[in-house]
Amino acid sequence: MEQILATTLRSATPLVLVATAGVFAFRAGIFHLGLEGLMITGAFTTVAVAEATGSVELGILAAIGVCMALSAVYWWVIGPLGANVIIAGLGLTSIGLGGTAFALGAIFDRRGSLFTDVVLPRPVSGITSGPGVIVSEHSILVWITPLIVLAAWVVLRRSRFGLRLAAAGEYPFAARTAGVNPSIMRLQALLIAGALCALGGAELSVGALHNFTENMTNGRGFIAFVAVIFGAWHPIGAAFAGLFFGFADAIGIQSQINITERVPREFVLMIPFVLTIFAVWLGGLWRRRSLEAEAGYAELREPDY
Amino acid sequence: MTVPSSPASAGVPAVRCRSLGVSFGSVRALHRVSLDLAPGQIHALVGQNGAGKTTLAKVLGGLQPADTGDVHIAGREIPPGDVRAAQAAGLAMVHQHFSLPPSFTVAEALELTAARPGGRPVYRRAELHGRWRDDVAEIGGEAVLSTRIRDLPVETRQSLEIVRAMAAEARILMLDEPTALLTPAAIDALFERLRRLREDGVTILVVLHKLREVAAVADTVSVLRDGELVLGPSEMSEVSQGRLSDAIVGPASQADRAVGVEAAPGTEQQTLLELARVSSRASAFEPGLGSIDLSVEAHEIVGIAGVEGNGQRSLVSVIAGLNAVTEGSVLLGGTDVTRAPPARRRLRGLRLVPFDRNSEGISRRAPLWLNQSALRLIGRRRRRLPLISLRQYKRKAATEMDQWRVRYDAVTQPAESLSGGNVQRLILSRELAPGLQVLVAAQPTRGLDFSATSFVRRSLRGLRDAGAGVLLVSSDLDELFELSDRVLVIYGGRIVAGFEAPYDRRAVGDAMTGARR
Repeated sequence: MEQILATTLRSATPLVLVATAGVFAFRAGIFHLGLEGLMITGAFTTVAVAEATGSVELGILAAIGVCMALSAVYWWVIGPLGANVIIAGLGLTSIGLGGTAFALGAIFDRRGSLFTDVVLPRPVSGITSGPGVIVSEHSILVWITPLIVLAAWVVLRRSRFGLRLAAAGEYPFAARTAGVNPSIMRLQALLIAGALCALGGAELSVGALHNFTENMTNGRGFIAFVAVIFGAWHPIGAAFAGLFFGFADAIGIQSQINITERVPREFVLMIPFVLTIFAVWLGGLWRRRSLEAEAGYAELREPDY
Repeated sequence: MTVPSSPASAGVPAVRCRSLGVSFGSVRALHRVSLDLAPGQIHALVGQNGAGKTTLAKVLGGLQPADTGDVHIAGREIPPGDVRAAQAAGLAMVHQHFSLPPSFTVAEALELTAARPGGRPVYRRAELHGRWRDDVAEIGGEAVLSTRIRDLPVETRQSLEIVRAMAAEARILMLDEPTALLTPAAIDALFERLRRLREDGVTILVVLHKLREVAAVADTVSVLRDGELVLGPSEMSEVSQGRLSDAIVGPASQADRAVGVEAAPGTEQQTLLELARVSSRASAFEPGLGSIDLSVEAHEIVGIAGVEGNGQRSLVSVIAGLNAVTEGSVLLGGTDVTRAPPARRRLRGLRLVPFDRNSEGISRRAPLWLNQSALRLIGRRRRRLPLISLRQYKRKAATEMDQWRVRYDAVTQPAESLSGGNVQRLILSRELAPGLQVLVAAQPTRGLDFSATSFVRRSLRGLRDAGAGVLLVSSDLDELFELSDRVLVIYGGRIVAGFEAPYDRRAVGDAMTGARR
């Protein structure tokens, strides 16, 4: 049990960070399907720069910088250039997945994966039995993530910036009458989301593991996106949804270790996804009424001018 | 935010603009508009749909940059398209479609749009409520602060926009068609409020549609026609109603004629639409229907009166087949259609002019011809090849739209590019096609100028005379009394009273507000 909870924290942290990124984008009115691409870019950049410079801090800073730059490009494509948000987001994901695999070969002359000894510090380690196992061997990012979620809540739900952001996303006309430029608000949201995706990717590569592997995000960006929807685009809700998906993942991992002799491996691998589908279905049922309410405001949201 | 020191004493116009011009593509929205508005008065701006009233209001408010000309608010020049500069000069706007995000609470919306000094970038709920408590005293006090905008009745939402403007210490208030969505009582309350603001020295510019309303509230009136200022600002006492109408409609304007409608050969005294003990579930906005009995005969217009939000939308949705019926049955021409999908009801002669023409009546992005042809496409006979001739459909759509005097450039332009009155004509041109037996018309003249309004009313009468049945849902009592053969009052999802001409306005009003059961 302790092992499952420990694995839950480890699996959930990248999801929660990226889901928080998704919440920022969603509240600014962007269906951000580029999360996966930003996440893997963050994972790769962290490992690459950490390995090259020997400093994990520099690695993370570089990852944040690269992901923010990519986010700015994404904003430019969907904003000023007017491209479709979904298509451009999927494109960003493809660029991230393909680009990191390519860079791995081009820069390090490796295929598949890149190991590094430069990893994030682990404040608590060495506990092998008892409840302490739950908090042992986690990277510093796992410890910081609750603070990040709390900060996201304050920014989104208790600040003027958050009000402007939500107005720009929900009803741009309201933002404009308040003298706010919705496009600039979207850029700011995307930059924040980029930084959070970089952290999520870093936790995956140098937090929980010691390496970067091609396609190591393995759909986590999309699961994080689902967590945003499931969590009703609320920072705390999305964080709990992320935790839940992490828990589903942990059960999958643990039962792979424990019960594979009796149950087919493929079935065990399905568990997180089946739980995800189930959860999304429940979330849909639960929210149907509020969605109906919003649909009636189609006209208000897009006025004639 | 600084407040200009008493603009009244300085003799500077509250609003001054010089030769404003705005074009959208080839369409000239405003042309050489110059206007001075004296401080401390209520100024009305009138004109037909598409005359440029909203555009002018937006240019003055800094929401729309002008192509030419300049704007001065209280003596200060406002850079084109600078909302904040206009606000800083003391101007605030109440928009036609409202400008507060539906999911925000009242306190959040005020904080977003009327930021006043002293607020910290991060707040606590209690602190936020404390900051805005006094401002909302008139519209329900502290309790309203945690209500979401979308849950507010439409009058309160509008009052809130005014509260917001006043909280920003506005000295000049612009209201864009504020009466379009209000009940008669709410309109009186609004005008009373505007007069009080005038007493406090606030300058008011209000865009209106109905001359009766202009006469009731305005000190001066200005008329826009085809983007040009053709009259005013003139003192109300110096302009006759006749001159005003002429200025609005323009010379040599052809009166619209109602288009004759072929109704299905009517057998006399036939019940075309019948609802028997129909109930439905409540929606987020409205009570559900409670055991409604209602029938519409041939050659009859039945009016539905009621304060908005008392089940009118549910009623229309249930008849159209968009909402499920929990009990009872709906009959069209004697056939039970309780479970029939909307398309089958339409084939049986049901036609609909919906509440929100822009979101329910048209597909905004789809081209005009497709919007116009929708019914013909549904009604195509089976056993024909599932292929259509685009050219034929486009040509037919163009003929129909021309007949209904829809003003458009090309049949391929998106429906959202039409102005409100033209959208309604487009919808009528589609819905009042041959085969019509029953028309459900929901607020068919809301927001239309008076020539379009009288056009719609004449069309409804024409329908009745040709033997169709009409169910007219309206919040405009004058309209109901003028058109209806009988009026039913809906309250809390139930029909609580029925009236026949001559109508007693007082009695109907009492039934609408639940004073009489």
